Amino acid sequence: MSSEILVTSTGLHALSYFIPVIFLSLVGFIILAMGTRNTGKSIMSWITFFTLAVGGVLTYLLTPIGTSIFGGTLVFNSFGLYFALIMIISSMFICYPALKGLTAKSEIFYATLLFVTVGMILAAFSYNLITLFISFEAVSIGTYVLASFGKSRRNLEGTVKYFFTGTIATAFILLGSSFFYLGTGTFNLSILATSIATPEISLALIFLIVGFGFKLAIFPMHQWAIDTYDGAENSVSAFLSAGSKVLAYVVILKVFLLGFSSDFKDVYYLFVILSILTMTYGNISALSQNNLKRLLAYSSVAQAGYLILVLAVVSSTGNITSGVASLAIASGMFYSLVYIFMKGGSFIALNSVNHESVELADVSGLAKKSPALAVSFAILLLALAGIPLTGGFFAKYLLFLSLIEGGLWWLAVIAILNSAISVFYYFRVIMYMFGRNPVGDQEFDLTRSVKVPVYASATITVVLSLMILWFPAVINIASGLFG
Amino acid sequence: MLILLIFLLTVIFSASSFAINGKRRTFAIASSAIVLILTIAYSLLRFSGTYVSGFQSSASYNLVPSIGIMFSLGVSGFSDVLLLLSAIVILISLLITEKNKFGNSLYSYILIAETGLYGILISRDFLFFYIFWEVVLIPVYFIIAQYGGKNKDSISLKFFVYTHIGSVFLLLSIFTIYTFHYEATKVFTFEISQLMVNKYISQIPIFWRYLAFFGFLLAFLVKMPSFPVHSWLPDTYDASPYPGTIILAGGLSLMGGYGLFGILMPIYSLLGSGILTILIYLGIISLLYFSLAAMMQQNLKRMMAYASAGAMGFVTLSFGAGLIETGYQATLELAGGMFQIVAHGLIMALVFASIYLIRQNTGHEAIHSLGGIFREAPMLSSFLLAGLLASLGLPGLAGFIGEFSILVGVFGAIGWLIIAVVFSMIITASYHIWAAQRSLYGPYNENLGQIHDVTGEQFAVLMGTLIVIFILGIAPNLIYGMLVSYVGGII
Repeated sequence: MSSEILVTSTGLHALSYFIPVIFLSLVGFIILAMGTRNTGKSIMSWITFFTLAVGGVLTYLLTPIGTSIFGGTLVFNSFGLYFALIMIISSMFICYPALKGLTAKSEIFYATLLFVTVGMILAAFSYNLITLFISFEAVSIGTYVLASFGKSRRNLEGTVKYFFTGTIATAFILLGSSFFYLGTGTFNLSILATSIATPEISLALIFLIVGFGFKLAIFPMHQWAIDTYDGAENSVSAFLSAGSKVLAYVVILKVFLLGFSSDFKDVYYLFVILSILTMTYGNISALSQNNLKRLLAYSSVAQAGYLILVLAVVSSTGNITSGVASLAIASGMFYSLVYIFMKGGSFIALNSVNHESVELADVSGLAKKSPALAVSFAILLLALAGIPLTGGFFAKYLLFLSLIEGGLWWLAVIAILNSAISVFYYFRVIMYMFGRNPVGDQEFDLTRSVKVPVYASATITVVLSLMILWFPAVINIASGLFG
Repeated sequence: MLILLIFLLTVIFSASSFAINGKRRTFAIASSAIVLILTIAYSLLRFSGTYVSGFQSSASYNLVPSIGIMFSLGVSGFSDVLLLLSAIVILISLLITEKNKFGNSLYSYILIAETGLYGILISRDFLFFYIFWEVVLIPVYFIIAQYGGKNKDSISLKFFVYTHIGSVFLLLSIFTIYTFHYEATKVFTFEISQLMVNKYISQIPIFWRYLAFFGFLLAFLVKMPSFPVHSWLPDTYDASPYPGTIILAGGLSLMGGYGLFGILMPIYSLLGSGILTILIYLGIISLLYFSLAAMMQQNLKRMMAYASAGAMGFVTLSFGAGLIETGYQATLELAGGMFQIVAHGLIMALVFASIYLIRQNTGHEAIHSLGGIFREAPMLSSFLLAGLLASLGLPGLAGFIGEFSILVGVFGAIGWLIIAVVFSMIITASYHIWAAQRSLYGPYNENLGQIHDVTGEQFAVLMGTLIVIFILGIAPNLIYGMLVSYVGGII
């Protein structure tokens, strides 16, 4: 059991563990101050980028692996570190492409981005419902601000929807946490030895699934995501569907696999049903979309369905430290990493279209105007569809492998068929880019801030398929969510 | 090791072709010629005379031992023959393109397809086998989607989704036997030679075993294509540009055949007579159905698309029948079936290349729009005629050998059903001749105007292909011996 290796640390000394977080917040305030002096937005974007890079390095170097502070509310371990780094990368990822959509008050955008990242890092290390809630809320409020960046009223409609559903989700999380406390007598998330399945626990399970499910956009709680991704700036959609989603995912992993380890049977049934519904609904709705951004939004709903398959596998084994469970969690971790680049990159590729509300026809002929951009976008879509030679293939492959290892053959068949269906709509996009001529006098925006991030994410997506070589290390990190 | 170098060379060629802008066609032709020459040299070194059975150049590189990920390679007599076939088919498909007709990407796609085919044929572990299996699809999809004819959008999508669904079932089967292998031995491995063995496959519970067989067969039969899962074929062949059609006919159907004979054959005794009988019937139905469908076609390209599928019906038939029978007849049929894959690939390359040149020179490929073009383009017409004759199985050309040895052996397994096979062969012969008669001979269709015959380079390509077909027809033992040794090592 990993809890034995934890070193408990108290007092002021613990503050030194927060140097990366303090550093990021400080720069956030500095950027806000720079806004009053009319600093150029590209300078701010670079400062944010390098701050996040330095913050990532600091997090990597200064995180005291195996330390637990504040009575177990924060646990620093490799699992949390892995996700903290992933989320820092996802924030870095949108610094540069966001420049395109920023017209005014860019300091607020970049400062908020830094504050959101702080919340994400804290959430990655939290093993307590209260700290999780606080850091999660810090991220949510920040993303409400990010989502409202832009000018048109359409954007605001999506944001308002996001805000209201987000607030309702918050209420659900709070209620769920209270019931959780009633049932277990603690807010801490740790593996419970005894099996307790009281009504309070079941209520907590339902409320928490609804609350956190909103953020991950799983099936019945997904509708806001479609409108918000559609309405927001492309780079913000990229962030919402990549970084913010991975955050919701890691929180869900912790809450349901640790907090409800006494009640795995219910967790299993819930997540099997939710994952099947989410995958199938997302894929089938994406099939008929002609709006490219909504298509990607539905696809990210479907991807959330694949991600929560991990919970089904782990809860079906009943033992979070078993080999199959570790494989499943590790495959989820790997998926999250690849997912950031393939999904974020796809949304950012839409920056090449000059107007809002990107239709499928708007990318037609992209291959003729900029072959490299079209090929990179195609690579990202192929990765989303799980075609070999991309990281997306190995991500899906490991996920399905863990399903079969866990004995959930039928679920694997459903997931594989779903992934075959998804090929249809990803390839429709590719077809428009390569097979059609540009519509009218359509001009693409092929400036560097559009192209470079897409090239980078396509390259990284391909290179990540080599990460399979380090996969055993990821399995070690996954061990029982306590790394 | 030589084969690994050749494979890496194909990877380098296909990747670096994207960087060449001016003379990508020349580069592609040169690189695929180098690959072909090296493959021939490799075959002479490893497979001339000394080959008994089993695998040459076996090697294995552990990548992630803890979950059994490795890159294993090995070349059997059968896969070596198919390596040669794919190198030739790729070279032909490159050579028949005219300069400046297609965009540069086409040449890169074709080279990637070659890399994928080589990868499939040399991989001896299921992970990389699957990866390359999928890799081949992507360039072919792009060839159709970018350079295809009418309705290329929906047809290329249909092609991809159809074959991709086959592939995901292949993946499921691979996972199934991988997991059961782990449960039985506590060893993670994807190595084909360890997974596909009777001793261990027979321990898999019957439901999962048949599920795995179903996945394998579905993936392979879709590629062949065989009767119930063929509906992607006519449209795809038709909409694809000719270089793509040649790769579809020579390369993709090769994958199906390789799957049957290269992957499934070692565990043939577990397939049971039930599955094998189903395969026999599928083969016979394919033969009949596709030859009848071909007869109804008005368009040479579509007709030959059905003819190609019909010829692959022989392969399915020989696989089923050969594994039911024993002894001499079994060897004859199985080797015949594998020979048929090779012959079919070469002949279809010749036929589609000739039809392509006719289409280029006259602007037509529908039979009734042509007519009497022998008068104006005697050489081109003769090449098409030779291809058609080879395709219908004329003795002396490669198509005869495979069909003959299958027909000789198959009686023991299917009895008087052989009449259906012979009947389909008669139909095949008649529509081939009929098509040649209507399009090549008779009074010249003056609407076509002045048309020119093959140029020097085109002549060399077609003649070279024809010579290979002819040599294999009169000296089949060049590869037949290798195939027989390969079969001998398994049954």
